[in-house]
Amino acid sequence: MSINKHAYQAIEAVVGRNYITDDPADCEGYRSGPGGYESGTGYERVMTKIAGAVVMPRTTEDVQKIVKICGRFGVPFVPYSTGFYGPRSHPHMEHELIIDMKRMRDFEIDEKHFFITVQPGVIYSQIQQECFEKGAYVVIGGGGAQTSAVANLLNDGWSPLSFRVGLPQRRILGMEVVMPDGEIVKMGSLADGDDPFWGEGIGPDLRGIMRGYTGLLGCLGICTRMAIKTLPFQPEIPKPSGISPETALQLDPKRVRWINFTMPSLESIEQAHIMIGNAEIGGAVTKVPVFWRAIAKAECKEDFWDLWLKETEESVSNFFLVRVLLIGYTSEEQMDYDYHVLCDIIEELGGKERRTKPSDESWFKNADSAGMWLMTGSYVSVDYVMDTFTQAFKQGPNYRDLKAKYTPPLMPDCKDLGWFQSCEMGHLGYYEYLIYWDQREDTNGMDQFYVESAKMNIENGCYPALLGAHQPLYLTGPAYGPGYHEWILGLKEVFDPQWICHPPLPLAHDEFVERAEWMHEVKNWETPEEFPYPEKLKENMRLEK
Amino acid sequence: MDILKDLAAIVGTEFATQDPSVLSDYVSDLSFTEGSRPEAVVFPGKTEEVSSIVRWANEKNIPLIPVSSPIHLYGTTVPKQGGVIVNMKRFDEIYEIDKVNRLVRFGVGVSWEKLTAALKAEGMRVIMPLAPREERAVATDHLEREVTTSMVYDYGEPTQSMEVVFPNGDVFRTGSASAPKYPYSPARGANPAGPGLDFYRLLQCAQGTMGIVTWMSLKIQSIPLIDKIKFAPLDDLGEGISYLYRILPRRIGQECLILNRVDLAALLAEDTAEFEKMRGRLPEYTLILTISGLIRRPEEKIAYEEHFLEDVMKNEFPQIVLTDYLPGFPGADKKLMNILRTAWPKERPYWKSVPKGAYQDLFFITRPERVPEFIERMKHVAGEISYPFDEIGIYEQPIEHNRACQLQFTFYYDPDCEESADTVKSVWKKAFESMHDAGGYFTRPYGETAERLYDRAASYTAALKKVKALFDPNNVMNPGNLCF
Amino acid sequence: MSVIDKKHPERYDTPKEPFALDIENLSNFVYDMQHCIKCKGCYWVDHTYMPGMKHSVRCPSNLWKEFDSYGAFGKMRIGLKLEKNEIEWTDHLLELIYADPLCGACDVGCKRNLDLEVGLTLEALRVKAVQDGAGPLPVHKDITSDILETGNCYGAKKDRRAWMDASVKPAEKADIMYFVGCSSSYENTGIASAVTKVMQSAGIPYMLMEDETCCGNIIFSVGLVDEARKIAEKNVEKVRKSGAKVLMTGCAECYRMWKVDYPKLLNIRTEDLGFEVKHFIEVAEEALTEGKLKLVNPVNQRITYHDACNVSRNCDPWEPYEGERGWMGTVEPRLARRRGRHGLYEQARTLLRAIPGIDLAEMPRMKENSLCCAGGRGTKQAFPELAEFAARDRLEEARYVGAETVVSACPWCRSNFSETAEKDGEKTGVLDIAELLAMAAETGEK
Repeated sequence: MSINKHAYQAIEAVVGRNYITDDPADCEGYRSGPGGYESGTGYERVMTKIAGAVVMPRTTEDVQKIVKICGRFGVPFVPYSTGFYGPRSHPHMEHELIIDMKRMRDFEIDEKHFFITVQPGVIYSQIQQECFEKGAYVVIGGGGAQTSAVANLLNDGWSPLSFRVGLPQRRILGMEVVMPDGEIVKMGSLADGDDPFWGEGIGPDLRGIMRGYTGLLGCLGICTRMAIKTLPFQPEIPKPSGISPETALQLDPKRVRWINFTMPSLESIEQAHIMIGNAEIGGAVTKVPVFWRAIAKAECKEDFWDLWLKETEESVSNFFLVRVLLIGYTSEEQMDYDYHVLCDIIEELGGKERRTKPSDESWFKNADSAGMWLMTGSYVSVDYVMDTFTQAFKQGPNYRDLKAKYTPPLMPDCKDLGWFQSCEMGHLGYYEYLIYWDQREDTNGMDQFYVESAKMNIENGCYPALLGAHQPLYLTGPAYGPGYHEWILGLKEVFDPQWICHPPLPLAHDEFVERAEWMHEVKNWETPEEFPYPEKLKENMRLEK
Repeated sequence: MDILKDLAAIVGTEFATQDPSVLSDYVSDLSFTEGSRPEAVVFPGKTEEVSSIVRWANEKNIPLIPVSSPIHLYGTTVPKQGGVIVNMKRFDEIYEIDKVNRLVRFGVGVSWEKLTAALKAEGMRVIMPLAPREERAVATDHLEREVTTSMVYDYGEPTQSMEVVFPNGDVFRTGSASAPKYPYSPARGANPAGPGLDFYRLLQCAQGTMGIVTWMSLKIQSIPLIDKIKFAPLDDLGEGISYLYRILPRRIGQECLILNRVDLAALLAEDTAEFEKMRGRLPEYTLILTISGLIRRPEEKIAYEEHFLEDVMKNEFPQIVLTDYLPGFPGADKKLMNILRTAWPKERPYWKSVPKGAYQDLFFITRPERVPEFIERMKHVAGEISYPFDEIGIYEQPIEHNRACQLQFTFYYDPDCEESADTVKSVWKKAFESMHDAGGYFTRPYGETAERLYDRAASYTAALKKVKALFDPNNVMNPGNLCF
Repeated sequence: MSVIDKKHPERYDTPKEPFALDIENLSNFVYDMQHCIKCKGCYWVDHTYMPGMKHSVRCPSNLWKEFDSYGAFGKMRIGLKLEKNEIEWTDHLLELIYADPLCGACDVGCKRNLDLEVGLTLEALRVKAVQDGAGPLPVHKDITSDILETGNCYGAKKDRRAWMDASVKPAEKADIMYFVGCSSSYENTGIASAVTKVMQSAGIPYMLMEDETCCGNIIFSVGLVDEARKIAEKNVEKVRKSGAKVLMTGCAECYRMWKVDYPKLLNIRTEDLGFEVKHFIEVAEEALTEGKLKLVNPVNQRITYHDACNVSRNCDPWEPYEGERGWMGTVEPRLARRRGRHGLYEQARTLLRAIPGIDLAEMPRMKENSLCCAGGRGTKQAFPELAEFAARDRLEEARYVGAETVVSACPWCRSNFSETAEKDGEKTGVLDIAELLAMAAETGEK
């Protein structure tokens, strides 16, 4: 299948023959699905293709040369760091090149100034341990400790640990990007020297074009180096314990503690989030979906369903648990202060402290996202939103009610509300709605629900994360801004006039709606007669059809 | 083309003028920037009017220079290619103070005076730069990414959403305010990010070249119930900076800054005579740190911070002596605490005009450990042109637990003395070049600095120009600034 | 087309599909291959134990060659194509399938969070290669011939018991049968001697197998299940006939073969073998605890212990399974998955800490996170570069913790580490735990 053979040879000369392949078995090994994040979906089946070739560069200069060669020969390419993000980070065209950046794993830590500098092949759990040993910690996104920190920060990046720092993009300092035309743009202090310690631009900040609330999934260039903020931690290094599958980090309760509280109502949970933020204490505040607790208790999938099928709408809607992380950043005395303030708040709201394990299984180093697939085999977060708690707690019931119409194929979840947490010390309320299904079944309903949720948000005036390439751009574009899509398409035209960088993003979901016949019944928005692709891309797409 | 007629048709005759006495206000500002006279000044009162003005400007190819503050510091509002001043002062409404979600939304013409008073009445405050003029527009300072004195919040800046009229005349809301039906939507505009791109980042430090912001929202905090201010004289600045590396990551303090005797004297003195006396008596550098008890158990918070500080001083930094008062200056503690939490009243001469009447700032971002090195450099530069180093104000502002800092030098001069002004121009320029060569990171390219900064950052500049060309193909928005 | 469940309208009525944990039919693992989420839990050290930037990977194949196809997550995708016969067998595809020591890191890593049978799928891919006439590799065929002809994997004509000298005194009959294995009989005879010395020092009688021949580990591992089954039947029968209550071995590969793969081949539970299977370190640790084994001679060394795969991740007992998979992938009857919990981690460490003078340093990749040296299961013979690479990486890790000697409980590890250290001119010592115990044991050498 391969890619243009002149391009292949030229790229082979850049990286050496051991680091490029077009062997069918190798390329098959890079297939997006059928399992994985957002896999087992119509999008994955309709939009993704097997790579024509895979190359593994080592340096920024390698990446630049590869991109320029692709530009010369019209070879579409997609940047790939772990491939965990599912179909949206895999090829969508035939004869496309995967630029697999796992060999790019340089790492430096500046202990004094609380930042690290990494390449895309470095994952969060590696970083976290290095940080622990230097009195710091890093926010590991909900995507999991196995995600590339660079990729995660460019596209997603939220976690309960974001309580103090908030938006993922705030954690990005200087960075280096190979643009789709092969030019290297350095941002932040890297623009004017070799030290990536600071992220703001010279004047307007071009980090603004690399992502919005969520990212552009690699369709506007390849980040090859990024400095990332770490946060000051406390001096006790959490120690791992246990044998798989029961491994956990042991926390010194005098300096780091998770505490669970049962609360009398959903409103009191909302209040707890707001009041704890207002009191400016803590390291994380979150309400997790009830079924996550069943996952944590379950040894296996069957155990999970034994537990979960005992729950009812009533039992779930009457179970209110908030989970708070306290960190003794300053001292044990400060930890005590935080705890007393927290208890004051909980008591005022009628809550009660529950016995909580002095360990962390899920956030500091493991970020247990892999467990999301245990229940049904397929999963995606259909939205993750950050505005205020006012929005968050209104949005949950909207999703819950819409989802009921699409169950099945979606998992019966007793109308559980989803995941809430506090960010930026309660200034922001975060809400995430996760859906699960069995990909062996008819999943058309899942694809439809996904787009219907975007329509629901528009109807209700809610601000979702999944804009840009995640949803049909011509649906969300006119609604938000309004007209944000025109700017994204304009930037695409400016920096990638050939649409060679991960085509056909950012219009991939629009394409999916056109191509998948079961999506036609949900399409009730305007699209242009032809998408604004360059002629060459249009021709290639015609040929592929 | 009758500019006045066209503008009056949009905003009404009362709000457009070509009165020379009004126009002349915009020919210069407190910087050394020289520019041209605008052709008119227009005062829109509604977003739709701003949009119409921008569309008109594109049609007529006339530059627009947005202005929201009555005081201009950096030359950004001085027309470089003629054009029309769009004065946003009528956007002076506070639209909402949301105490539950802790945000405030206000028009770009709202002053520090108005905003801080309104917030105070609700028991709230917004983090702020050091002693901004109270008549200055809050939005301007946050759009310009003025560094705040509060360094304890991991999220850094308080900026949330904005409404902007883009250079093509489109009205756009950034962040979660972009949601349909806003402001009647569940989305409250608290999230600055998105939609799709981080538009707000393109608007910050843009000096009005990427559009005209009409309102913005900021995070607000509760006013602490207890505040204590601490001082430490620093004979050895390096030691003081090491001390900050030790304590600030432990999340100690609300505000923290280091001032040299010149700047501290300027801040505290009532007049020039007192300034000279104080300057002579103050230590070379003073560390100023506030610790606060918040809305719950305030005494306990103060206690744990003080215990920590005592511990560190006793065991690690015995030479740092923190006191609740400024030794030798009774009453300075209360005065400074007030200065740190309020804007500078317009009735009083601005503190930076106390020494000699006028001033020029030079500031950049760096690693705190490099501050002594940059100060030595400044000594050298001053010495080269015989400028008295001991008359330069020095202000180090730690940022986010001291992961970085802003270092600011202030050159004071007599505005009525041409020679004095020329000397400052000269030393300022040399100093800028020297600091830049040494790796000082200048994120706010005002005036002359822009050319050198953008030349050196060639790849960034090229990309930035492409973005600008997309948003403003006719380059009507404040041309001649940055690299545009 | 999915049909709504009449009893539960919020669900589909998912038809039940039969499956078995039977590696002779790759279709049994289609669900597992389809549900790999590419999280690379099969590649990385357990994140909770992640030591940082160094020593962060526990998959030797994918560490050696970094295309995704070399990792289990890549092979799951390739396997789906193989199951449908939609991809051609080529030399490269055979490399992907066989350049893999089946160390179990992927299986355990995946099962930390999910219920996927990655390890069994990889075994099934080997069987598929053989069934399709593509595998095993020529060198494996040679080894198989050697085993079948000479009873050992070296093709050695020498007497299998030639390692025994006068000091070795097996009993005619005993509860414990010591299965020496090919490597200890021919290449690492010091291990066999050491095991017997320690047993004798502790006063534990043992007997040897009559006409001991190869356990068939390599034959099984490369997918020749029929041949392996015959060996299993013969060997199990021999032990049963001998009346031994315990089959003990000092070789981790033999240990896994007897404890897990013989029952797998014979479609019985481990506990139905009719005798217990123990590794020497289990017997020695019991003897130490009971006071029978006295470790008195100091061995003044800073050592590190390498957890060989087959006495760590891979040695959970076997239980055959046949069932059905239905709604949301749930299975009936309930399946207790083998998640690698039963590794002999503490036994080895208890023994080592009991030796006077020993300073035991742990490597970052320890216990179930251990990096396989890729010396076993026919891997080194087919891919010597991979084995050398993995051994080199592990030796570097040993040096990183300041160890003068690497100790393991597997002769294949011992050979691979020794050869690589020697080739690289490294001074790191390599010993089997039996040898160390023999030095320290009451009547042992100093």
